[in-house]
Amino acid sequence: MANRMKSSINKIDGSVADITDRKQEESELRYSEERHRLVVETATDAVISIDDSGAILFANHAAMRIFGYDPTELIGKPLTILMPEYMRKLHENGFGRYLATGQRHINWQGTELTALRKNGQEFPVEISFGELIRGGHKVFTGFIRDTSERKQAENKLRASERTLRELTETIPQMLWSAAADGAIDYCNQRVLDYTGLSAEQVQGAGWMKTVHQDDVDKMARAWSATVSSGQPFQHEFRCLRAEDRTYRWCISRALPLRDESGRIIKWFGTVVDLHDWKEAQQALQMTQAELARVSRLTTMGELAASIAHEVNQPLTAVTNNGSACLRLLANHNLDPEVLRRALEEIVADGTRASAVIARIRAFIKKAPAERTELDINEVIQEVLTLAGHELHKNQILVECQFTRTLPLVRADRVQLQQVLLNLIINGIEAMIGVAVRPRALSLESRVDESGNVLVAIRDSGTGLGPEADRLFTTFFTTKAHGMGMGLAISRSLIEGQGGRLWATANSPNGAVFWFTLPAAGENPS
Amino acid sequence: MSVAPVIFVIDDDPSVRSSLKFLLSTVGLQAETFDSADSFLHKKPPDVPSCLVLDVRLPGLSGLDFQRELATRNIRIPIVFLTGHGDIPMSVRAMKAGAVEFLTKPFRDQDLLDAVRVALDRDRARREQENEMWDLRRRFDCLTSREQEVVSMVVAGMLNKQIAAELGTAESTVKVQRSRAMEKMQASSLAELIKMIEKVKPSKDAS
Repeated sequence: MANRMKSSINKIDGSVADITDRKQEESELRYSEERHRLVVETATDAVISIDDSGAILFANHAAMRIFGYDPTELIGKPLTILMPEYMRKLHENGFGRYLATGQRHINWQGTELTALRKNGQEFPVEISFGELIRGGHKVFTGFIRDTSERKQAENKLRASERTLRELTETIPQMLWSAAADGAIDYCNQRVLDYTGLSAEQVQGAGWMKTVHQDDVDKMARAWSATVSSGQPFQHEFRCLRAEDRTYRWCISRALPLRDESGRIIKWFGTVVDLHDWKEAQQALQMTQAELARVSRLTTMGELAASIAHEVNQPLTAVTNNGSACLRLLANHNLDPEVLRRALEEIVADGTRASAVIARIRAFIKKAPAERTELDINEVIQEVLTLAGHELHKNQILVECQFTRTLPLVRADRVQLQQVLLNLIINGIEAMIGVAVRPRALSLESRVDESGNVLVAIRDSGTGLGPEADRLFTTFFTTKAHGMGMGLAISRSLIEGQGGRLWATANSPNGAVFWFTLPAAGENPS
Repeated sequence: MSVAPVIFVIDDDPSVRSSLKFLLSTVGLQAETFDSADSFLHKKPPDVPSCLVLDVRLPGLSGLDFQRELATRNIRIPIVFLTGHGDIPMSVRAMKAGAVEFLTKPFRDQDLLDAVRVALDRDRARREQENEMWDLRRRFDCLTSREQEVVSMVVAGMLNKQIAAELGTAESTVKVQRSRAMEKMQASSLAELIKMIEKVKPSKDAS
């Protein structure tokens, strides 16, 4: 190929007539030629020259490597064989126009075009070219760089950026990011749709406009605390939804992105509207509370005879004492000392009756659950008082094995009473039919291996039977007139306070019901 | 002669016990109180007119079980039942088993005092009846066996002549034995004698 070029140049040179400088010129020319040849042959870009008819005069080694043709194949061929079909006409038109008018239609430096390999594969190239006039004819030389790999890498990067952007913009979640100082620098379209703010409005601290005025201070404090501590962020707040101009409960979470040295460089966060979930949760809690209350009323109904007795006893004493005094008064026979004693008894019995009523009212009142720190032994004692007559009437021996130094538990007093009362009444009912052995109910409190407070209620009754595993199922009952709700409700109440409730067989007879509650110190939720 | 009656109050509640005792005292009635049926049964009842004021729902032996227990022991003391929460079947059972009254707590004082009075009257009557029986029995036992035979036949409606024929004696002998028996039984007429013998007769048959 180099020889051919030389010979073609020689051919051009052949028209020069001066022979004196010929030798010197020839040697200089040869040197320059050699230098150019070296550059051209070692170039990694394809170098191709064409004449003004568009025929290829020269192609270097790199051209062979890039286009797949042997250099000899290319000489004399039109340049257009190196172009895809659809570009050929364009090229010919443009080339012809340039030759005719001298007007350039494309950039001669670094133009990106598509080329065609011998095997038919199209590929991207970057072309720079220049022209040279020899003997009244234009010769064009182009430098063609195969940019497939660079293009591919660029495309890949662009595609990955696009995918990421598409992801953040089309994902049905509200996403945001913030600078290390906590200023919001990006919110996706979901956030903008939800809040009705523009991408500019939401920047910095602009998002705070959408936070409910009762929550905004707390949230701002929480966010700035997070930004300074670097701890993961999680905060519930009411956010104004643009769609219906209502405040809805949302939760925002964020994690920091750190550089190699551990310095926070950015925050990435989400916002989730959990209003419906929260409302459902509240409705569920209310339903559960109502169910628990109904169950308490049912329990009270079952205890009605005992309660009537408990109230009637002091009332009877009050009426008797009062009537007796009236009689003595009518007979002018009332000794003040006798009267004083009678009145003292009346007051004591009145107080006693009202205490019974107060206990029952507290038990069945419609009040939201309220967790306080409780001494479980104290609650057990209260319930034993409530069930006292029932135990007494059924000749049940009660044994208490309380650990005196128990940690407090965090629970709702009434719910805990309800569970205990339920388990005690179950125990009583399981023992009513027992005549051949002592009826004993034992209550034990202690700390279990995990540090939870454990309560065990053992009876010597008829035992769990073969359907023990169904005990905690709603509407399952072994009683003739039970609703089958007691144990199911008891379990949900205990689990609601972070504990567990289960049953095992007692030895040699009866059943043991166990429940645990976390110690108050451990879980101050 | 009037013996001071005693009312036995059995209730597990100390306030109820002491208030009942106080109420009964205002009409001059003396009461003894017990916290359970068992503790009452451990005490030997005194030989005076008495009655029981008893809560149905007693710990240990229930009121109704206790009523049955007393009947098996042949202790026929009238019972006034008290209940905190009485149901009809329970009161029916109690009344059928011979209870005087079934009062729901809290009750009117007059209702209780009336019931107690009725119970004491019933006990007095029972005691008088028992005394009378005992007396008749004693008199009847004073008759000779021939006199007892004659009296039985008289009561059965036989004439002196028929009795004499049956016993193979003279009619005059029967007449003498009959009038001696009337005298010993302190019967002023034949009708009275018949009544007396009919009262004694069941126990005579039993013996």
